[in-house]
Amino acid sequence: MVDWRLFEPLFNYARKKSLWIVSFCTGCGGIEMPPLMTSRYDLERFGMIPDPSPRQYDLFLITGYVTPKTLKRIIITYEMAPDPKYVLAHGSCPLNGGIYWDAYNAIKHLDKYIPVDVVIAGCMPRPEAVMDGIQKIMEMIENGTADGWKRYKENYEWYKKNQDELFGEGWREREARRWIPWLVDKKKEE
Amino acid sequence: MGEVKWEREQMLVDKILEKAPYAEGKVRRERRIEFSIPADRIRDFLMLLRDNDFELMLQITTVDWPNDGELELIYQMWSVTHRTHAMVRTRIPRDLDKARMPTVKDIYPVAETYERDAHDFFGVYFEGNEKMEMPWILDDTEQGLFPHRKDFDMLTYVKKKYKLLDRFDEDKDNYVI
Repeated sequence: MVDWRLFEPLFNYARKKSLWIVSFCTGCGGIEMPPLMTSRYDLERFGMIPDPSPRQYDLFLITGYVTPKTLKRIIITYEMAPDPKYVLAHGSCPLNGGIYWDAYNAIKHLDKYIPVDVVIAGCMPRPEAVMDGIQKIMEMIENGTADGWKRYKENYEWYKKNQDELFGEGWREREARRWIPWLVDKKKEE
Repeated sequence: MGEVKWEREQMLVDKILEKAPYAEGKVRRERRIEFSIPADRIRDFLMLLRDNDFELMLQITTVDWPNDGELELIYQMWSVTHRTHAMVRTRIPRDLDKARMPTVKDIYPVAETYERDAHDFFGVYFEGNEKMEMPWILDDTEQGLFPHRKDFDMLTYVKKKYKLLDRFDEDKDNYVI
């Protein structure tokens, strides 16, 4: 048997060179993505590509403030992804609320609900700052220190407790019954 | 001075006030006119405005006046033909069981969105608009919370909901992030 952990540095090098981004823009940071992707700050030279499907991505950019309604979608999108997945948060709002620190509808600490690997400071960060954060997360992938997905599995009870405190117990079933009722009912019949 | 300058606007106001004796109107400045009407005549007045070339509803602005015990609803209308903006001011009581308005969804279809907005943030109930039970912004677990009213205690609500750390909290040492 081959011990695949021997090849971990090689895998990490390959992951770092081909990060796919899910097209999930939250708040004001979405306006920074078109200049990032297009010819001026060409993100494709890092080997990145935006992808509309949550099943293929490696890098999740949280661009701007997060509301409770959006956080449900973020959690579901994050849990859909295959396992080496990294989260990069833009700006002050996912860190501590930013200018919305006293608003009724802004999440103050995104780190309590999903693990965040790199946070870029600024409001909003310019594309150069985003590229700096991307280089940082590439270094962390190569060192093996970008372990948010491992932390999410190890401390899942703590994350789930925080999510349930915010949304109430059984929020996943409620959302599913609200948006895809035919699937929920079919599952119950089986 | 102003009456000569704003002749066209004054003519428009007079034309509308002829058919609506319950309303009061004035010219604010160039291409800006203003009416104030009682709340129960809103449907008649907006039908009148629609027939007098006010094609668009831009917004329903809600203002909270807790000292008067009233909510002010301002219907912002725009006429493409006359290039004129009209404000229609109404006042309704502030109490939750009395803050009721007839809907204008069938006169201006876009008003459905604005009425849901006013309902979610200020607690105005629009009779005839059936979509009121699905909030825009807040979750379904938090119905009946009207955060843009002046008497809404924002800071206490935020600290309770998001469990924010205060310098004087007793369980500060057990707080782990």
